[in-house]
This record gives sequence, C-alpha cells and structure tokens, in this order.
Amino acid sequence: MASLTAFQGKLGKKYAAHLLRRITFGPTKREIDTFAEKTPEEALADLLKALPPLPDPIDPDTGQTWINRSLEGEKVDHDALKQHLKAWWIDEMVHSPLSVIPKLSYFLHTHFTTIESRISYSQSIYYQIRLFRHFALGNLKVLSKKICLDNAMLRFLDGDLNEAGRPNENFAREFLELYTIGKGPQIGPSDYTHYTEDDIIEAAKIFSGYQEDKNFTHTDPETGLSQALLKTDGNGLASRHDASVKTFSHAFEHQTIAPSQTANGLATEEAAEDEINQLVDMVFAKPETARHFSRKLYRFFVYYQISEETEAKVIAPMAEILLENNYAIEPVLQALFTSQHFYDADNHLPEDNVVGAMIKSPLELVVGSLRFFQVNLPQASDPIEQYYQAYESGILKPLRWQGLDFYEPFEVAGYPAYHQSPAFHRNWISANYLARRYEYSKHIIQGIRNENDEMLFRLDIVEYVKQPNNITDPENARLLVEELLGYLLPEIITTERFDYFLKVILLDDLSEINWKKEWQRFQATGDDSAVRIQLENLVNTIMQSPEYQLS
Amino acid sequence: MASMPVLINGIPLTTLGKQGELQRIAATSDNDRVLVIIQLHGGNDGLNTVIPIEQYAQYYHLRPNIALPDHGKRKYITLDTTLSTQKQAGLHPDMTGIKDLYDQGKVSIIQGVAYENLNQSHFRSRDIWFMGGDYDEYIGSGWMGRYLDYLYPGYPQDYPTSDMPDPLGLEIGSAVSLAFHRANGIPTAVSIDNPQQFYDLINSVGGEPPASVANTYYGHELQWIMDIEKKSNQYAGRLKEIYEKGSNSQKVTYPELYPYNAPASSLRNGIGTQLKMIARLISGGAKTKIYLARIGGFDTHASQVESYDASMGTHAALLYHLSESLRAFQEDLKALGLEDRVLTVTMSEFGRRAASNGSWGTDHGTSAPLFVIGKHVNPGIIGVSPDLSNLERNNLRMQHDYRQVYGAIMQDWMKGEDQVLQQTRFYDYVQGENKIPVIRDIIMGDREEFLTERYGLKDCTPNPVKSLVQFGFKINATVWVEFSIYDVSGPLMKRVLNEQKQAGEHYFHLDLSSWKPGVYIYSISAGRFKERKKFVKI
Repeated sequence: MASLTAFQGKLGKKYAAHLLRRITFGPTKREIDTFAEKTPEEALADLLKALPPLPDPIDPDTGQTWINRSLEGEKVDHDALKQHLKAWWIDEMVHSPLSVIPKLSYFLHTHFTTIESRISYSQSIYYQIRLFRHFALGNLKVLSKKICLDNAMLRFLDGDLNEAGRPNENFAREFLELYTIGKGPQIGPSDYTHYTEDDIIEAAKIFSGYQEDKNFTHTDPETGLSQALLKTDGNGLASRHDASVKTFSHAFEHQTIAPSQTANGLATEEAAEDEINQLVDMVFAKPETARHFSRKLYRFFVYYQISEETEAKVIAPMAEILLENNYAIEPVLQALFTSQHFYDADNHLPEDNVVGAMIKSPLELVVGSLRFFQVNLPQASDPIEQYYQAYESGILKPLRWQGLDFYEPFEVAGYPAYHQSPAFHRNWISANYLARRYEYSKHIIQGIRNENDEMLFRLDIVEYVKQPNNITDPENARLLVEELLGYLLPEIITTERFDYFLKVILLDDLSEINWKKEWQRFQATGDDSAVRIQLENLVNTIMQSPEYQLS
Repeated sequence: MASMPVLINGIPLTTLGKQGELQRIAATSDNDRVLVIIQLHGGNDGLNTVIPIEQYAQYYHLRPNIALPDHGKRKYITLDTTLSTQKQAGLHPDMTGIKDLYDQGKVSIIQGVAYENLNQSHFRSRDIWFMGGDYDEYIGSGWMGRYLDYLYPGYPQDYPTSDMPDPLGLEIGSAVSLAFHRANGIPTAVSIDNPQQFYDLINSVGGEPPASVANTYYGHELQWIMDIEKKSNQYAGRLKEIYEKGSNSQKVTYPELYPYNAPASSLRNGIGTQLKMIARLISGGAKTKIYLARIGGFDTHASQVESYDASMGTHAALLYHLSESLRAFQEDLKALGLEDRVLTVTMSEFGRRAASNGSWGTDHGTSAPLFVIGKHVNPGIIGVSPDLSNLERNNLRMQHDYRQVYGAIMQDWMKGEDQVLQQTRFYDYVQGENKIPVIRDIIMGDREEFLTERYGLKDCTPNPVKSLVQFGFKINATVWVEFSIYDVSGPLMKRVLNEQKQAGEHYFHLDLSSWKPGVYIYSISAGRFKERKKFVKI
C-alpha cells in the first residue's frame, strides 16, 4: 500500500543513488558511497542545508557585474546578458555541493515559468532566479505573493498593462490555473470547479495598477530582492489600481476583497498590496491548492502517473502536511523523501516501481553526466568569454536540441514534461530529442570547442578511470564495467545485457586478459590510444542506452 | 485464453477483426488522401481575421483600438459581394492569399467554431480539440491517434510495411502532440524538422537496446524509449529517401518575411518552410496520412496591433504568414499535380473576446472561424457572421462544434466509414442536421460555376453594333482591371480601362461610329480572371 510511512534503516547504494539523482543534480560515485551509509533522515539533514550565496554574474564587456546599478539610459545588450544569466545559474547546478536547493529552484522555475525572450530587462530574470533560490527551502504561499510583484512575471503576463477600467486578465488566469489552486474539471459554463471565469476577472482587478521597476531599486525588505512598483499619483495613492469591491464566486464562498483604506476613491499603497495578500490567503486556504502543489512535487520528483491509491495515500497526506505547516516546503519534502513509498518499500513486489521510472529531463541528463564524471568546465575566473561559450555551446545549446530551451519554453504553461497529460515526462522523448540526447555523450567525449577551435571542456574518460576514487581496479575489465554500470544506471541489468557492455563494447570480443595487458601497457608507456578508444566506446554506449535516460 | 473466441452478438470477434481489416485495407489502398492540419497556437482572434462588415459600427465600437479600417489603403478585403447580407465578411488586409484562393473556389470558411462550455485555458482547450472530446471529458488519446491506430492495426510493432512504409502521421518540429497519442504505447506520429538532418543524426547515435524489459514502471518507460528509438531508425532512411526524391515547384516562392510593420520577433515566417517540406515529402511519394504543422504567437493579450495602425503588427504578420504560405502551398501542390490529394484545415484552441482590452490586445474568448482549403472543398462560407449585438458573456456565440468540421472531413474527405467516425468520436456530429457540407467532391464544372458567379465578362449590347455599345463585367475583389479591344487579326485597337476597380458589376459605353466594320475582340484581365469575347461592327 502506498503511504508516507517512514523508511527504516540505511539507504544502501541503490537507494542512495536514487535519492541523490532525484533531489539533486546528481552524485559522483564517491558521494553515492557516502550516502549509502546514511538513513534517509541523515541524508535529508545533509541535503537541506543552506548554500552560500551565489557570486554576482559578470558582464564580459565590462568585467564587472551589472545587477547592482540602474542601466537606464545606457546602451546595454540585455539579450546577451540574459544568456549569461542562464549560464550563471546552470553553473550552480553543475558545481554546487550536493544539495536540494538547485533542484528545487529549478522546480520553482518550472512551476512559475517565465519565457525569457518576453522580458526586456536582464535584471528581471536575475531577481527571479534569486527569488526561486531564496524560496527553494522557504514557503510556497509567501513565494506566491512575491511572484505577483515579480518584475519578470509582471512583464511576462502583461501585469504592467492591467489597469483599473482596462483590465488584462492574462496573469490572473494563470495565477489560478497554473500557479496556485489549479484548474479542476469543467462542471458548467465557465466553471472550472475550483474557480470560475468570473474569479479570473475579479482577481485581475486585484492585480491591477503595477509597473516594472526599471531601476531595480525598489526592494522587498523581506527578501532583499527587487520587486515591482505600484503606479501612484502625487498623493501616493494607487492611481491605476481598481479600488472596487471584488466579489468571488461560490468556489470561494462568495468572499469579497476590497481595499481597507481609500482616499479620493483610490486605494492607499498598503491597502492595494494587502489585497494581494488577502487573495493569496483566500486561495491557499483551499485544500485543493495544497493538493495541486503536492501533485506538482510528486510528478517532478517521484512519478508522473498518480493512481487513485497514490492520490489517497500519498498526495492527500502531502497536502495535509503542507496545510499544517502553512505551505512551508521542507516538512513535505522531508516526509516524501524519507517515505517507504519513495524507496518502493511499501509493496511486496519483488521488483521496484518508483526507482528508475522517471525519464531524466535534459537538464538532469546533461548536468548529471558532467557532475558524475567531474568534468572540468571553465570558471568565471577564467577568461570570461570562454566561460560563457562553454555554457552556451556545451550545455544550453544541447539542452535546446534535446527539447529543453532553458527559460524559454514554447508556451506559458512551461515545459510540457511537467504538465502535459497524459504523457508528462515522456514528452522529453521524441525521435529527434532522443537522438540529440544520445549525441551529447559523443560531443563531450570529443570535447566542446568554441569558434576558434579552442577546447572549452571535455570528458576525459581515461583520466576519470585512472582515479582510484572512481574506479577501484581499472585492470579488471569486469569490475570496471560493473562499477560504471552500477553507479550510472538506475536498475540492475541482466547478465546478457552486462555481457554486451563488457564483451562486445569494452573488450571488442577479445579476452579480459587482453584488456589487462592493454591497461598495463598504458601504465608503463603512457600511450593511452588503445584503452582510450575502448573506454570511450564503453561510455558512449552506456550514455546512449535507453537505461541511462532513466532515473 | 488466446484460443477462446470472444463473441459479440454471436459473431466471433476474430472474424469481426478480419472483416474490419479487409475493410481497412480496402479503405487505405484506394485512398491516397492526405490531411494537413495547421495549429494556430495561442488562440486566434477570429474577429480581426474574418470581419463582420455588415456590423462594422458595432465591430468598431467593441474594439476601437484594434479595429481594422473600413477605408483607405489598408482597409479590410471584401470577401465576396455575392454572399447574403448575413454572411458578408471581410478578410484582414494582409490575407490576399486566402482571398485569391477563395476566388478560385478553394476555400471554405466555417464560422463560429467551438464546443459547448468552451474552456478558456490554452492547455485544456487545445487538449480537447486534440482529444476529440467534450469540455468535461478526459481522454488519454487523440483523435488522430485513434484514427491511425484503427486504420493501421498492430502499430508500432508491425510497421513499416510495404503498403505503409512511412510514419502514419508526421508532426513538424521536435515534439509529438496529444492529437497523435493512442490509448496505449507510443504515438502514431513521428516528429521531424528536416529529413536529411534527421537521417544523419539518427545514424550517428545509439547502440543495441536491451533484449527484454521488466513489467515495472521502470520497464514501461524503458519500452517507451526503445519503441521510439526503433521507429526513428526505421523511418529516418525512408523519409530522407522520399524527401530527396520529391521536390517543390520551381515556379512557387514560399514567403519568408512580413513586408510591413510588426515587432521584429513576428517578422519571420514560421509556417511556410513547414508546408514546403510537406509538399516535397508528398511529391516524393510519402504515404503519411496526417501532417500537423504549427505557427505560434496568437496569444495576443497585448500589442496585437501597432498602436498607430491597427492593420499592422503582430497579428497582421501572423495572418500574412499563414495566408501567403497557404497560397504558395496550394500553388505548389497544383504544379506538382497533388492538388486532388491534399486538404488543409486550420485550428486554434479558441478565439478571442469580442471587445479588445486596453493593451491593444484581446483576452481569451470562445468561438472563431476556421479555414478549410483545397480543391475539393465546398467553397464559400458555412454559417453566418457572428452577431455582435447578441453576445454570450462578452463572447461570440458558437455556431458549429469543431467535431462537425472534423467529422465532415473524416467522412467526406478521408472517406472514413462509420467505424472511423466512432473511433474519432465524430459519429454523432455527421448525423442528420449536424452534418455540414465542408467537402464537395465534384466534377470540374461546378468549380467554374463558383468563379463565373463571381467574375464575368458580360455580352456587349447591341451586337452587331453600329455606333454606341455597352460593355459590362463583374468582379469579386478590388483589383486592377485592364479592358481592351483588339482587331480579330491581333493589333490592339483601344485600351479602354487600365485602373483599379471595386468589387461589383461595372458598365460603360463606347461610341464606335468611326470604327471600320469588321470583327473585334473585347477582353478583360482582372487579377486571376481573364476572359475575351467577339463582337461585330457594321
């Protein structure tokens, strides 16, 4: 029976790898070994620790950061800067110590998705990323308030155009449909169970009258991050905010929200902003909002199909934990990732269900591979052009080809894998995308180069295998293959399949003794040509296998 | 279990299956028809696409900041002066391509298409169009997927075959939509953007797949990946081969850029190359039944038009891309001799609100017109212009369910028998009064009739003529008209008209008293329409 009952005992290698692949951007072999000795609670305690703040991103044209000053009136290429911000964020995913924070920040981005090309100012994206990172271990309800005044979101869904008397419903609709309570079955004209078309119209009034802060000097004292401005008149009143009484439908028990204080028929600044708080409180008081977030978390971290049993035994308890804790994220993660359900220990099936049943996102595939093999990427302290080129050519472009145009999904709902029923994460796999995923290993083994043909980074498999931390005894072909497959693939494979990797690929149908000799020859002479070809074949074949696409 | 015959109404199911298969084979072998679906992603604003010109004042009142002008150079295009008042419609001024196709009798516009209780979420509404379901239904498969699954039983493991060597459906791009999903297993379509690149890519990667998979969640995902990989390998070579074998007509140029003012991001044509590739694949012998192409950007909440000129901007550019690409596609098909095989239909998850918003844009609405294009459509308009004085919660009232359109297409164009209509869930929508005449599989004469009802050179009177003669003609568009008289032996005698004329009937007189007796030819050239007749001067 599916349930959130706690898993007992140490994780062991398989479940440690499972946990780390799901809630971080991926472990090394050594990290799997370390976590194998921990219980889920101990592991979570480690992974939930705060991370040091991110260094400021650098503008390659000036060698300085640009996010700490107003750029109004300056000639600035925000499109280029936005690309750099993506690199800067992915840098953290690749290089941070093992932690849930980068993965959760990305989860929040997939939930509150913005399409970068529709945002003019690079700083808006910067502060949005900081916001996600700030709330990665924070509170979903508070974040949902903040996102209403996020400069990028305001611009993205036309909030800056939404004014009293000339409403624009774009944000209000997605706020209810995607970001908070979620759309339920349509049970009548304009009635989506959890809210109605009229609720969208009323919510739009509450969101009316804000503008982007183009100087990024208006700071939210709670987060220290830039946020949008209310449009005010000379008296500091909310001049474009709809000050009328907003009446919600039966879905919200006909609740009304109105500014608590007005003058000249306009809301005061505090009263206008407080209406957003009231709206969020009203929506988050509904258990359905907690369920919606629970399903999103479950599909992102555990499995895409939610059976009736899962809904009753896992989703409902998760939602209760969220509600009990006023939407703090940590307790629900703690419960989920220490549960028997997450480790497939809640059934008597001889084989696992949850383990290995997620198709890795391109980001998990690419970043996870780079982390596992500890590939050396250029640092921001290296020539800054090379640093950005490495992330563009070696990560962002491959992600695009694999179907994840980072921060630029095709539609407002975000990347299809996280919302498109019925296939969800299977949307990552199409003929094209799959081929592009397979191609990636080839590219990083050959090395990623810039336009001047300078090597930016490379997966040097011989170097990797040489390190005793990675491979215990490289002379021993069987152990070598066992170790690589054991740590790279989510599930145990058949003997026949193992023999394919060992005998056909690594040994090329020659003997294990031959491999030993080849390795010894390499050790003696430094000539790695023979072992390199075979090892590259092996790693290419593993990474180009269907099994490696799964987590 | 396998040996136990299952009975339905006393007939063993195995027999039923066999009969079904025979029917299916018959249906597929004598039918090489193709359906191209163009998805207008984001919700197209129907009111600025097809304008209810008889209600222009109300139209303008509802959307003064984005209304298309009724005068000047960028005025809407009057579609067809011969239509009844209720049907009278204008096209966006950048839709000359559609107008041109319309005058050739190759366009059917279906007004007010939606479904009851339309869901104004992009994602849910698109899924409903793709599912072929009702507003409150949740189906894990798409109607195209169910159709192809029925037509080609045993997919994927039994395909490709010599009869069906190609992907059953082809989606342009990299992902496959819900529309092509079957009830179980991988979708019935493959997605590609370039057959050559696809082939090269597929052939450079991959190893041997595992021989068996476990019956676990993990195993199911593994199987999914393996099935897609296998289909990719199987189809890549074939697609490349037919793409290389095929060609586009040298005479046709697919449009690339919007020539007027719009934000830079809207200038480039995103649909033309897709249609070009489809034409080329079909000309190379592709047997694929359904193609799905997509053009994005229709979610015009803000800046749908330029603030200083409502006839230009994002939406204008999108309609231009669509309209010019469809014109090129149709001309290409004609030149390639494929016009009898291909039907194109547009779709969008919903239309937009009747009234505009303050941001020179429109919020989500409900019903909208839809275009069906091809040589075998029933030309004209089905339904009437939306009644702007009778809105339903600020939205245009629905006239047709989208399944009536698809149903008619599946029945009359794809020649789907009842079982196909059941599978796609369109059966009820082609019964009795629900059936709409989208397709008219006809003999040549009828189509000329459509043209001659709208364009014509009248017989001059009197004939023979002594002195004063009256000429007349009718045209169905504002076009440049050249009207000339020639001697029967060839030389031009007089160029009578060489100017732009409004749609409608035109008459004029000419005094020929001084002309030499003999036989003369009078000729008109008005856009695509050309005609010549004789008269005798005595």
